[in-house]
This record gives sequence, structure tokens and C-alpha cells, in this order.
Amino acid sequence: MQMTERQLVYLYCVTEEEPKLREVECLADNLHSVHHKELYGVAGDVEDSEFGEENLKRNLVDLEWVKAKATAHEKVIEGIMEDTCVIPFKFGTLFNTNDGLKAMLEVYGEEFKTILGELKNKQEWGVKIYCDIQRLKSGIADRQPEILEVENEIKSSSVGKAYFLKKKKAELIEQAVNKKINQYGRESFALLKDLSSAARINRLLPKEVTEREDDMILNSAFLVDNDSVHDFVSLANSLKTRYEDAGFSVDCTGPWPPYNFCSLPKSRGQNG
Amino acid sequence: MDNITVKSKDVTLLEVLDRVLDKGVIIAGDIVISVADVDLIYLGLKVLLSSVETMECLRGAPFPSPMQEAT
Repeated sequence: MQMTERQLVYLYCVTEEEPKLREVECLADNLHSVHHKELYGVAGDVEDSEFGEENLKRNLVDLEWVKAKATAHEKVIEGIMEDTCVIPFKFGTLFNTNDGLKAMLEVYGEEFKTILGELKNKQEWGVKIYCDIQRLKSGIADRQPEILEVENEIKSSSVGKAYFLKKKKAELIEQAVNKKINQYGRESFALLKDLSSAARINRLLPKEVTEREDDMILNSAFLVDNDSVHDFVSLANSLKTRYEDAGFSVDCTGPWPPYNFCSLPKSRGQNG
Repeated sequence: MDNITVKSKDVTLLEVLDRVLDKGVIIAGDIVISVADVDLIYLGLKVLLSSVETMECLRGAPFPSPMQEAT
């Protein structure tokens, strides 16, 4: 007797209107929608040997696997979101059967409808700001009177005194750099937030993840009304050019599935 | 729309880690697995999450909680 591979149901997103699957069908195995009380769950089949608990843990350490699967996850949701509002689920949301998915839609249905109502006619945009700290440092050292003063003092000092003055200078520069980064980050976030209906600050990611030379200083996400998207993008562009010379760069991307704006109320969900 | 803001066609590792694996609705219930452990992926990257926290400390935690949405 031949054993058949155990299948699991992988949930991508939930919608209120019937999702159009045809465009993204090729990205998942048996992509289908599960209808339950005015909601649809968009799901595909995955094999236990790949996504079962122990196997998933093994695969998650394999970056190539993660990237391929996460990209497919994203593409399916992006495709569905072209036609209708979606609640994106976190990578690796799995059920034993479609009935399990239906039971979940039963439990959380009202919350999902509320969230979908709030997301209607809105888009998620991401803004990440990076800073070339060396460049910012050199710009600061050339301009700040306090630092120039110490610099002059160093020139006319003995070796011993110059050593301490140099340390002082480095400290002053460090302080000024942090102040500038804070100021720029806060200002930019506040301006972008004004044009959004919701805003979120996420943790900074290290260079190994960003694959960039400069440091991330702000990682933020915004929920923007469709009508305000043009102004929002223009503002991001103007922020980009405004402080480019000082060493800051602004990375604005979107529209994304609203990953950052679909939290369930605290008592019910476990949103990160 | 300006070309600099158009999202690149590839989903980068950065966005994978920042959005797909880290965000989105998480539910508990009649589910086999609901949380893909992001720490495991960082392990694959040989990056410890603590290094991220360290960087935030160095920057003097620029944004205090009032500006942050509930997590």
C-alpha cells in the first residue's frame, strides 16, 4: 500500500470580496479560497515534509528556502490585493484541513470584518531611513563652532593636552551626530505621520539584513489613504533630497499588503 | 510617481524579514503551526537579534513609546 504525503492548508490572506485567484494560481499548489460567512480565506496546499513543525524548523535556517517561500507568500497576497482589500497573515500560518480554517474564520470573523473596514481605500507604505555616519560626522566636524574651537585649541597645545582635547572633540562629534540623527528621524516621521491615518515604528535592522553600507536609523510603516498617496510619496521624495548631502538616504516603498496594520485586539491575537 | 519610490520587483531579504516573516496576523487556535520562528532565520544569517538591540541602544532609542503604535 502506498502512503500518500500528508497535506497541510497554508493560509495567505483573508478577504471580504471573493478573491480572484487566476493571476496567482501558478504561485501555489492548489490555490483555493475557503468561504465562510462573508469572508474568504485564500489558501494553498503544502506538504508536511516541508511545513510540518520539525521540518519547518529545519527549513527556516536555510535562507534560500526561506526567501523563495516568503517571496511566493508575498506575491500571492500582492496579486489578490490588486482587486480587493486583504488581511495578510504571517508566513507559515497552517491548518490541518479547510475545516480548521473555517473554524478560525468563525472565531475571528467579526474582528476581521472590522479590520477590513478600517483598511478600505488605504495602502501600506514603508519608509526606511539610512545614514552614512562617516559622512555625517565629517560634515558636522567642519561646521560646528564648538568643535572648530577645540580643533584650534589642539593645534596650539602640548602633546599631552592635545590628546585629551582630541578625545573631547570625538565626544562632541559623537553627541552632535546622535542629535542630528534623532532630529532628522523624528522630523521625518512626524511629517509622514501627518499625511497618514496610522503610523508604526519598527525595530532597526542590522547591515547583514539590509545589505547596505550605511546604518538604518528609522524603520517605519504608514497606512495612507488612497487620496493622500501622491502627497505622501512627494513628501518622501522631498525628504530624500533635503538631507542627501548630509549623508541621509530615504527608502520609500509600497504599496505593501497591510502587514503592519492588521493587528487583532490584544486579548485575541498575538501580533508582533 | 517618481521612479525612486517604485518598489523593486524582487522581494529583498530585508523585506522578507521585515514584513512577510515578522508581521501580519498571527492567530492561535486549531492550527498546526502559527508562528514561524524569525529567530531561526536570523540564525541562518548568523546574525543575533541582540546586535539589533545594541544598535538601538547606541542610537539612544530615538523614538519613545508615545509615537509607537501598540504592538
